[in-house]
Amino acid sequence: MIPFAIWFQNTPLCAFLRDSPYAFPVILTLHVTFISLFGAMIFATDFRLLGWGLTKHRISDIVDQLRWPKRIGFVCVATCGVLVLGTKAEEYFLNPFFKLKVVLLGLALVHALVFRGLVYNRAAEMDALAEPPSRAKWAGGLSLLIWISIACAGRSIGYIYPPPGSHHFALLVAPGLH
Amino acid sequence: MMIQLSPQRGRGKIHGMLLIENPMNSELAFPILECFHIVGFAIAIGSIALVDFRLLGFGLRRQDPADLVKDTGLWVLISLSTAIFAGLLLYSTDPDKYYLNPIFVAKIVCLVLAIVFNYTLHRKAVRPGASSAQAKAVACISLLLWAGVVAGGMFIAFIAV
Repeated sequence: MIPFAIWFQNTPLCAFLRDSPYAFPVILTLHVTFISLFGAMIFATDFRLLGWGLTKHRISDIVDQLRWPKRIGFVCVATCGVLVLGTKAEEYFLNPFFKLKVVLLGLALVHALVFRGLVYNRAAEMDALAEPPSRAKWAGGLSLLIWISIACAGRSIGYIYPPPGSHHFALLVAPGLH
Repeated sequence: MMIQLSPQRGRGKIHGMLLIENPMNSELAFPILECFHIVGFAIAIGSIALVDFRLLGFGLRRQDPADLVKDTGLWVLISLSTAIFAGLLLYSTDPDKYYLNPIFVAKIVCLVLAIVFNYTLHRKAVRPGASSAQAKAVACISLLLWAGVVAGGMFIAFIAV
């Protein structure tokens, strides 16, 4: 994976993002802004599925209407995320919190695939029930747990210094040591 | 009174004659607080944005905007308070670094404006009597103010003072 990371971070776009003093903070700001928009849609859906909030609104209203906005939101978050990754791909690939974040994103995918047929495609069936069924509560609870973990893992990436010997270390950190 | 600026986070600060060790300066406190800060503001700002997008005709269109404000009100308040409280503790780790930074000051101005706006004009715009153009303008201003808060927060780290 490391040769790929080095190739990716040396593509003209990633090199530009890394070298420009403003591009990186702008991309990071967009990443975080989209996280707010996407995160709140996840949170609202999960709380509704758990029966903890928006209970006056039908489950299908919340789940169905937020499906496409959530997908668009995820594409926006992920696009900015990949660009952030591209600025220091090699360093990130060696970062334990980045690895954790990728695993958690994999879990989010599994979650989506598992609960798609069980909950999200069948939201209207739950409208008549007095309380969301347990499969909906599991979907909401696990989603909340996974996405909050992803946010925390993502923030923690920045606290790990690049390992000595990596391209990024040689480029940015090592010159300062002499 | 001489105030000595501490060269880096993790050291005690000298306030007058007292050496005060801030418990928030432990190695793990800052990242953990940041997680609370991020999850808190994401839920708060995103939930307010849900109402804004509704006013602009996107997202939860079958819902009444006034109901959305009412039904997300409690969690907006809780998550916003969490974000602010965590933010104050983050600030306390190195106040000089923040209040001397013009981006931080701009962020706080945006934040105060956004909060005041949210609990005044934003509330009015979701009432049934408000015109659609008015509601859309309010939604755009609200989104811009909150985006400004996020941008300010991110840029603090990138502007050297």
